[in-house]
Amino acid sequence: MMDADEIRLMSDVLAADPASLVFLQLGEALRRQGQLDLAWRVALRGVERHAQRPDAHDLLARVAADRGDFDRARAAWESALALAPGHPAAQKGLGFLLFQQGLLQDAERLLVAAQAADPGDASVANALARIRALGGATAGGRAAGPPPVGPTPPRGSVAIPASVSRPSRTTQALAAPVPFAPTPTDARDVFLDVLPDASHAALLLDADGLVVAGRYRGPDGRDLAADVGAQLSGVSDEASRAMRHLDVGAWTHLAVEAEAASVAMAPSGEGIVLVAAPRRVPLGFVRRVLDRAVERARRWLESGT
Amino acid sequence: MSSPYGGMLAGLIRHRGVKGCLVVGERDGLIVDSTVQFGVNAQTFAALTASLFRKARRAAQAAGFGDATFVQLEAERGRVCAVGRGDLVLVVVAEPRVNLGLVRVDMLKAAERLS
Repeated sequence: MMDADEIRLMSDVLAADPASLVFLQLGEALRRQGQLDLAWRVALRGVERHAQRPDAHDLLARVAADRGDFDRARAAWESALALAPGHPAAQKGLGFLLFQQGLLQDAERLLVAAQAADPGDASVANALARIRALGGATAGGRAAGPPPVGPTPPRGSVAIPASVSRPSRTTQALAAPVPFAPTPTDARDVFLDVLPDASHAALLLDADGLVVAGRYRGPDGRDLAADVGAQLSGVSDEASRAMRHLDVGAWTHLAVEAEAASVAMAPSGEGIVLVAAPRRVPLGFVRRVLDRAVERARRWLESGT
Repeated sequence: MSSPYGGMLAGLIRHRGVKGCLVVGERDGLIVDSTVQFGVNAQTFAALTASLFRKARRAAQAAGFGDATFVQLEAERGRVCAVGRGDLVLVVVAEPRVNLGLVRVDMLKAAERLS
């Protein structure tokens, strides 16, 4: 483990050059020392600056898991794998997470891939053995119930099987009972496949400004979808009012550039779809993500899934 | 009497597709200065766009995004853009074919002269 001087040195390097990749080592060192708030800030800033690097998302996922934010961890690992489908650490991390959440089929697929990258990893081998001992996944991809070992977990949660070794704080953190993760058809995950990375967010709001689908994570990892949706839906109401008086037809797009973020909105059925991205993302790109999100929302509403 | 914004507005109205430019009070929606083509209802655009910008600014702050710097609204038959500084809003009314990128850059530069 790195000592305090090494961490201070890396902090100085990062302060002198915020674009440096030393944030990867610094974030991991802080995570291992249990300085999770600092590690989170370093990882978050790293993802903002290096959104195309899978290692940055992997670091963010590991810190999120240690903080107990498993939704965010899952989203970050999924972003890492979207950028690099064969990323071993992300395969392993997400595999353990899905295993812990009872999604054995997906967990097995990821852990098999992780094992191929590192055949000597005993923790992966043990987890795979445990999955197979449980009889593999059900047809729906979720185990019929919690793994039959250890004490009965609280209702609505699962516990990681005791026989799975946990080689890092990340997987140790996964041992705590947590709520089930959303299924792939969860409304909060509707836009995952149209967003370029975890720094973007998309929401589908109804005519009252209530969130229908999507999620919005604040810098601290909390889901702020309801707050952000309620605030920004008021802007679209104002746009509709203005259009009625200006005789230029119905509004089709609304963009707001602010100091920290850019937001683009468009009508969708009775509600609106909005996409938010960090300010560094060009407005034209945000607009294109919005167009994809609108189409995704339309298909989701039509299919009901 | 000429206003200090005449040169700024004259520069913006020269963009192809721009039908009007206005400097508007954000709080009251009243026109401070404007250059508009015939047929543009300046008073209505001023009042409604100031209200929209005010709403967007408050919403962005409430959502944690910081102060709104540029707002763009597209409709079937036109576009409205707004930038703010202090209690003034610079508004551009344009046709759909306008080069939005160019207008945006010039508006952000012009906004620095609003006060």
